[in-house]
Amino acid sequence: MASQYRMNLMVCTGTGCVSNKSLNIIDALNREIEANGLAEEVQVIPTGCNGFCANGPIIVVHPEEIFYQLVSEEDIPLLVEEHLLKGRPVQKLMYTPPETKNPVPTMSEIGFFKKQMLIVLSNRGIIDPENIDEYIARGGYKGAAKALTEMTPEQIIEEIKASGLRGRGGAGFPTGKKWEFCRNAKGDEKYIICNCDEGDPGAFMDRSVMESDPHEVLEGMVIGARAIGAKHGFIYLRDEYPLALERVLKAIDQATEYGLLGEDILGTGFDFTISVNRGAGAFVCGEETSLIGSLEGMVPEPRTRPPYPAVSGYKGSPTNINNVETWGNVPHIIARGAKWFSGIGTETSKGTKVFSLVGKVNNTGLVEVPMGIKLREIIYDIGGGIPDNKKLKAVQTGGPSGGCIPASLLDIPVDYESLKEIGSIMGSGGMIVMDEETCMVEVARYFLSFTLGESCGKCSPCREGTYHMHTILENITKGKGREEDIELLEKMGTLIKQTALCGLGNTAPNPVLTTIKHFRDEYEAHIRDKKCPAKVCKALITYTISKEKCTGCTLCAKNCPSKVITGERKAVHVIDQSGCIKCGICKSVCRFDAVEVE
Amino acid sequence: MKTIILNGNPVEAEENTTVLTCAQKAGVRIPTLCYHKMLSAYSGCRVCLVEVSHRESKAPPRLMPACSTIIDDNMVVDTESETVKKARVFIIELMLSRCPDSEVIRRMAEEYGVFSGENDDVVRDYLLNRAPRVKETNCVLCGLCVRVCAEITERHALSFETRGVQRVVTSPFRKVASKCIGCGSCAYVCPTKTITVEEAE
Amino acid sequence: MKLKPEDLDKITERMRSSTALREGACRAKITVHMGTCGIATGARGILKAFLAKKEENRADDVLVTTSGCAGLCSHEPMATIQLEGEPPVKYAELTEEKVGRIFDEHVMGRKMVKELALAIGNERII
Repeated sequence: MASQYRMNLMVCTGTGCVSNKSLNIIDALNREIEANGLAEEVQVIPTGCNGFCANGPIIVVHPEEIFYQLVSEEDIPLLVEEHLLKGRPVQKLMYTPPETKNPVPTMSEIGFFKKQMLIVLSNRGIIDPENIDEYIARGGYKGAAKALTEMTPEQIIEEIKASGLRGRGGAGFPTGKKWEFCRNAKGDEKYIICNCDEGDPGAFMDRSVMESDPHEVLEGMVIGARAIGAKHGFIYLRDEYPLALERVLKAIDQATEYGLLGEDILGTGFDFTISVNRGAGAFVCGEETSLIGSLEGMVPEPRTRPPYPAVSGYKGSPTNINNVETWGNVPHIIARGAKWFSGIGTETSKGTKVFSLVGKVNNTGLVEVPMGIKLREIIYDIGGGIPDNKKLKAVQTGGPSGGCIPASLLDIPVDYESLKEIGSIMGSGGMIVMDEETCMVEVARYFLSFTLGESCGKCSPCREGTYHMHTILENITKGKGREEDIELLEKMGTLIKQTALCGLGNTAPNPVLTTIKHFRDEYEAHIRDKKCPAKVCKALITYTISKEKCTGCTLCAKNCPSKVITGERKAVHVIDQSGCIKCGICKSVCRFDAVEVE
Repeated sequence: MKTIILNGNPVEAEENTTVLTCAQKAGVRIPTLCYHKMLSAYSGCRVCLVEVSHRESKAPPRLMPACSTIIDDNMVVDTESETVKKARVFIIELMLSRCPDSEVIRRMAEEYGVFSGENDDVVRDYLLNRAPRVKETNCVLCGLCVRVCAEITERHALSFETRGVQRVVTSPFRKVASKCIGCGSCAYVCPTKTITVEEAE
Repeated sequence: MKLKPEDLDKITERMRSSTALREGACRAKITVHMGTCGIATGARGILKAFLAKKEENRADDVLVTTSGCAGLCSHEPMATIQLEGEPPVKYAELTEEKVGRIFDEHVMGRKMVKELALAIGNERII
């Protein structure tokens, strides 16, 4: 085998691209490369998620850094012949921004990547996550080596404190302080935990880090274990992430083989092992005390804090829990220094944040941006704006615990404090973009239906309170809202926030409270006028056919699943409202824009 | 020994005492529902919430469950502040909406002024007059039965099943538990008398 | 194998060629022109010869890449050598022997092989 390849083809094998058959693409590439006698010159490497998930499967060709997207198996013979053999990049597989007609050949020129700043995701798409040597070649485990050979545990903690790193799971507690509490807590056995029970709808930051760079998390944990004095760590991994599980298990094996985990790590006499625990699918396990309960083999239910896990956690021992992204930042801070890290971001929020950008935005995917970046930059410069030239209405951050930020506040900087000030939270990084066709009352109802279903049922305000709020919201979307319902939701929401036991209940009303705060007029339209301004709530809209526009082509009648559209050919058609299920199919099939919604 | 300020007065108690025990000794009444002195604290019902702050901390007072909050020097506890009263009444109203004909809940509601207070409160009006019932049961999911069976008789014949509003107390697989010795402890501790003991054949 | 801290650098060293390839960091870049004309006159062999020389010299910081026809079809096979900070140099009518000399003298020795060079400088900048 040649050790000197002239070309590397990085094929994304994150969950998104794998489900778009990127594994078949790898097979096809290897077949074609073999057939063209290029096997000694060109290497195909499976990598982790590249972030531009909407346009997968993705291949990046080095050294030219040519970015190919939406690649299918059929494109491979052409790609191999043109680019690999003849050196002519294939234009039709390149990214073409919607506003221009010119394809953009290289990755760094694409707007989606240009404004990003990578720390946690710095290895994405560049290394094979299943090969520890590739991680080491990019400076991996240097931070651990430094922490274990040159630093005392106290110095490590001081470094993390000085960096200003705060928890990336949502609450934003200073990581160094958290470590210090646990280090100073009394106890012979101490534990650290990596929380990878990512459960917010539309969020996949942790999954992607685990899939594309598992060693980064392991290295962070080794450093943390040394600082805290833990001999064992757990990774609590959502079971819906089979690929992350496979890769992290492989990574643990390779690291153990190299003596980077296990006994006498790097010959320094420090022992530390990691085991992986598969979660069974309860959102509440993202809450640290529930997660610990689940690790202990119990039903996941939160318990009162204090005592905090730092004092009494797993099996009553001092335990430190951090989220995947937080652990992922640690090796970089130790290797490059707190000063470097604290130079990025804002006064109170340092470093970068990974967001999964989803919803009504052109470029959906995973982005890492410096703290303090404006929401507008994320949505328009990176996200490429709203599809079909529609208007942006709101951005939801923080998942079911977060809130909706109206378009008028797009210029606020993204940091812990600013988001909190306007009623939302940083959260773990879900960012859902909503356009003018989104009904904010329905959004609030949706998020509440999620927390209602995920409430563990231990404490009464969360269990009963979310049920009542959901019922009230459902009534509003059905046109049965009462004038006092807005006040009722606000008062009940505030009381639930104050009285619930854990973070799930304390934040569950946020989507409702922020939509009332910023979109009260939509609630009022539903309640007073029995109208849904975004034309989403089925009970409040009617489909009619315009007498002027209808040509009597019969297409709507043919497609109506309820068979309630009648009319002779070439005559105006009519919808029988009593049987209409408001599915909207007639509107989508009409070629004359004759179906109107009111 | 630790000293806390309870409703403005210093109260001394042994280390590791809960706010609830401390208050009971000082003759301050805090309502409870899921608490029993023989069992571990659960802090699920939230009716014993009190306002807790620390003299040395700038953090604003927080609502904490008296049944599981351990006292500490410089702890300031208020059991009758406006915030506590509002929270307490809200919890009782939620319970009353869940089981409107439970005697113990009605008594609690009466004691804390749920029936005599202002009637123009939208939350009260909704929960007492309009809200659909969550479930046709008087079980308040306090878990006393589950804990007595696990911690006192050590039979583990009862547990919670499913989550959220769907949650119920039941025996394994909803069948007569082979481990049940018919001691009746669960029925005895049940505050709403939802559990009955039947003679087996 | 259990690693010691210094072993991390050894692995980094061993992996340098692929790291350099993906990070685009290079001291010299060799572009073999692989249009139909180039391939017909033996550009594949030229490319292989450059790769073999690179391997032989363990020149991890040299990139060997391909591009399309350079426009001078009658002078194929051709290659462009560009050292960091210097204008690119085009070599034409290459043979494996010429490749050996160009690699040794120009790429490794940093001295252009004047009698083989066709032109200096072009429209492309790395």
